[in-house]
Amino acid sequence: MVFYAKRLAHMVFVLWAIATILFLMFRLLPGDPTIAYLDPSFTGEQRQMILHDFGLDQPLWWQYVLFLGNLLHGQFGLSFRQRLPVTDMILSVLPNTLLLTLVALIAAYAFGALVGALMAWKRGGALETIGIPLVLATRAAPEFWIGMVLLAVFAFGVGWFPAGGATSPGAVFTSNLARYSSADFLRHLVLPAFTLMIYLQGLPLLLMRSNMLEVMGEEFVIMARMKGLPERTIMLRHAARNALLPLVTAFALGFGATLGGDVVVETVFSWPGLGRMLVDAVSSSDYPLAQGAFLMIAAVLVTMNLLADIAYGLLDPRVAHGRR
Amino acid sequence: MDGGSTIVLPAKRRGLRTALRRYFADPYAVVGCVIYVVFIVLGILAGWLAQYDPTEILFTDDGQLAASLPPSAAHWLGTTNLGRDIFSQLVMGIRPSLFVGITAAVGVSALGTAVGVLAGYFGGVVDTLLMRLTDVVLGLPFLPFVIVLAALLGPSLQNVVFSVVILLWPNAARIIRAQLLTLMQRQFIEAARVTGASHSRIILVHILPNILPLSLLYGSISVGWAILTQASVSFLGFGDQDTISWGFMLQDAYASQALSQAQYNWFVPPGLCIVFVVAAGFFLSRGYENLIFPKLKQ
Amino acid sequence: MTTALLSVSDLAVTYRTQAGLVAAVDGVNLEVPAGAMLGLVGESGCGKTTLARALMGVLPGNARVSRGRIVLDGTDLQALSAAKRRALLWRDISFVPQSSMNSLDPVYRMRTQMREVLCGRGDLSRGAADTRAADLFQAVGLNPVRLNDFPHQFSGGMRQRAAIALALALHPKLVIADEPVTALDVIVQRQVLDMLRRLGEDMNLTAIFVTHDIAVVAYLCTVTAVMYAGRIVEYGPTADVLARPAHPYTMGLMNAFPDLEGPTQDLAPIEGSPPDLHTPPTGCRFAARCPFVQPVCTTTYPAPTDVAPDHWAACHRVGEAETLRAQATEAATWQS
Repeated sequence: MVFYAKRLAHMVFVLWAIATILFLMFRLLPGDPTIAYLDPSFTGEQRQMILHDFGLDQPLWWQYVLFLGNLLHGQFGLSFRQRLPVTDMILSVLPNTLLLTLVALIAAYAFGALVGALMAWKRGGALETIGIPLVLATRAAPEFWIGMVLLAVFAFGVGWFPAGGATSPGAVFTSNLARYSSADFLRHLVLPAFTLMIYLQGLPLLLMRSNMLEVMGEEFVIMARMKGLPERTIMLRHAARNALLPLVTAFALGFGATLGGDVVVETVFSWPGLGRMLVDAVSSSDYPLAQGAFLMIAAVLVTMNLLADIAYGLLDPRVAHGRR
Repeated sequence: MDGGSTIVLPAKRRGLRTALRRYFADPYAVVGCVIYVVFIVLGILAGWLAQYDPTEILFTDDGQLAASLPPSAAHWLGTTNLGRDIFSQLVMGIRPSLFVGITAAVGVSALGTAVGVLAGYFGGVVDTLLMRLTDVVLGLPFLPFVIVLAALLGPSLQNVVFSVVILLWPNAARIIRAQLLTLMQRQFIEAARVTGASHSRIILVHILPNILPLSLLYGSISVGWAILTQASVSFLGFGDQDTISWGFMLQDAYASQALSQAQYNWFVPPGLCIVFVVAAGFFLSRGYENLIFPKLKQ
Repeated sequence: MTTALLSVSDLAVTYRTQAGLVAAVDGVNLEVPAGAMLGLVGESGCGKTTLARALMGVLPGNARVSRGRIVLDGTDLQALSAAKRRALLWRDISFVPQSSMNSLDPVYRMRTQMREVLCGRGDLSRGAADTRAADLFQAVGLNPVRLNDFPHQFSGGMRQRAAIALALALHPKLVIADEPVTALDVIVQRQVLDMLRRLGEDMNLTAIFVTHDIAVVAYLCTVTAVMYAGRIVEYGPTADVLARPAHPYTMGLMNAFPDLEGPTQDLAPIEGSPPDLHTPPTGCRFAARCPFVQPVCTTTYPAPTDVAPDHWAACHRVGEAETLRAQATEAATWQS
């Protein structure tokens, strides 16, 4: 329990520090510090109201206290352009981003774990000779470029998939569940998810391969052979099962990191998600929205880092029992 | 991966030639090196190789805009929708990529080494503060932070390098600190301290030469990251619009409907160049890793 | 002695290393009578673990059986297809590893690991497997409740007992145990040895114990084979071999262990180290360290010669064994 409490305190500290950095960054902008919250096109009355709401007529230290207080209540202010609460805007696109990330990540880890295990099992085979440079090349390719090539071939070329967005224009859904499970949404999801997957599979694949190589030399794998178990059982139940443990941590860490990396993929495919919202907000100087989107991404990242630690403990019986 | 292994110092005692021979015994290292040399040579010769000014709008002999021409003898990779020569853009794009990659590598290894050495050498409060700082920086989402910084600082290559450096140093710092802690246990540091050597002398003469291989490794890993980041930032529209880079070319192609026009000659080559340069960086650091962590080699 | 359950003839195992080929096992002849506990004793690096693994047919990737025959209960194992050989593993011949710390899969409970063998290799139903697993745990002195535990929750001695229970699961004809008690502390060692002795009598077990500890052989084994530099140099009933060793290496080995009952004497270690098997000597492999070496020893390998019924030694001076034994007890003999 002490361990969890410590990790949680650490997470809160990191989040606080990030929020503070962000607060200072937006106020270090040249010119009027209120630029972070105020749009010149606001009417005088709106201006006064918001200045007061956010305490922008107060000294810097008090503004900081108010900023943190607002954060604790989940308040990020109003978007300049849409004039809507930032929190609501973020929450409306969050499911799109989470779904995209999760689908791509699960596909990438399933593929990576399987192929990585196979590569190790067939050490020195053709799969490895061709596979390793290919995997390194996918790690070296910019995600948005992979997306562009896929778009040109599969959307504009053969026309199997739509060129962008999350749903067809004019599509109406009775509920959120109906929306996310509709064939239309899934068809839009394929290319961006596949792009992300290609980028993401390299890490679990290489990790799985090196873990497998290590585990395959372990005594219990040799014993499994001596027991006359079928090769497949030895590979999957014993070697792969043990080699999989570190991948769980990598998965959770990957989820946090991917959310930030989604930015480019969402932009290529005009996917209405958090990353694209951030890009749009930054390029149109919609600072409250940019600040909110950034903090949201950072919060997910830091939370997933915490979960990575906890998940590892739960999955490895040695660690799990050691901690009690 | 975990840096728990102690490094074996390559060049210092056994001679540079042995180290080089072992390094180039790795086929990945050779391929990586060849790719690098080719790109560096092309980058130097870029001004001569590019037949046209990459930003110049070209016209055909009959006075028409030379827009979206397919590849030909005159335009090896064709032209953009505004009549610019794609091949010329491609070779000129080598320079910003290499600039970003190399300066970021130097920056990351310098900052990472400085922080790692300070934290590990002085320990105590300095260590705690610096390590907390690395935790915070590692909590920052990479690309979003680079975008926000680029927007606040203004679009330029230097700013991209700056963002990459201040985000990537913590990994290097952590590993170097860990390595330093094991180093500090060794006799010769203790001996230097007992004989009254100053902090700066111990760090410069006894510690840095032993840490250098690791700094170089982290520097070489950063090359690829920096190039990819620069491309992404340009693609998202936060890059320097006056510098022709591969990222800029891809953004230009994307925004100009090259995808729906199937102008593969426009958007495939810049992407491939990025893949080659970044992969070459991976290959190089892989071979290098084998050299300083021989235990990992199987 | 009756018919041999296992008979090994002229077996050689070769490793491919960076420095060339090494025959870690080179022309081993060995018979294990049914119901016997055979102690395979020798210094570390003499090839006894390689021999044990070759009998299982599970060798490291760079090693292979380069010559010889292994016949188990009338079946020539080397002639079998890989699939047939695997089918016979654990049902006919099972293994107790040296370090059960890593030999049990850390992520599965003991019950699962028992079931894997009992159901997967022994065709038992789950229920029957659980009953059998509980019986086995009881037999090796473990509480069946512990079947629900993970290996890391066991102490070293308990893990070794669990590994033995696993090895006995399918009533194998032959159990090979590779240094089964070496990693344990002395008291636990004794407990596990007692348990093994009892099991051996109760179940009429045929087993090979690989060990470097001649005391373990004396305590547990009915037959002893002494291995040196990839070959068996002496073989015979334990009582006979220990009382009347005929090979100088065996004599030396016995000197290296204190005799608690006999008169106090200086322990005399055998000086020098085993030959480099990349370039094995042409004659007797022990010649370089042997205090009784003669010119013939360095040129010709001595043929195994009977010294008593079922007791043989590979030494040119077998005939003078009695005289040599007397000299070998003097510490001075071993100091060059």
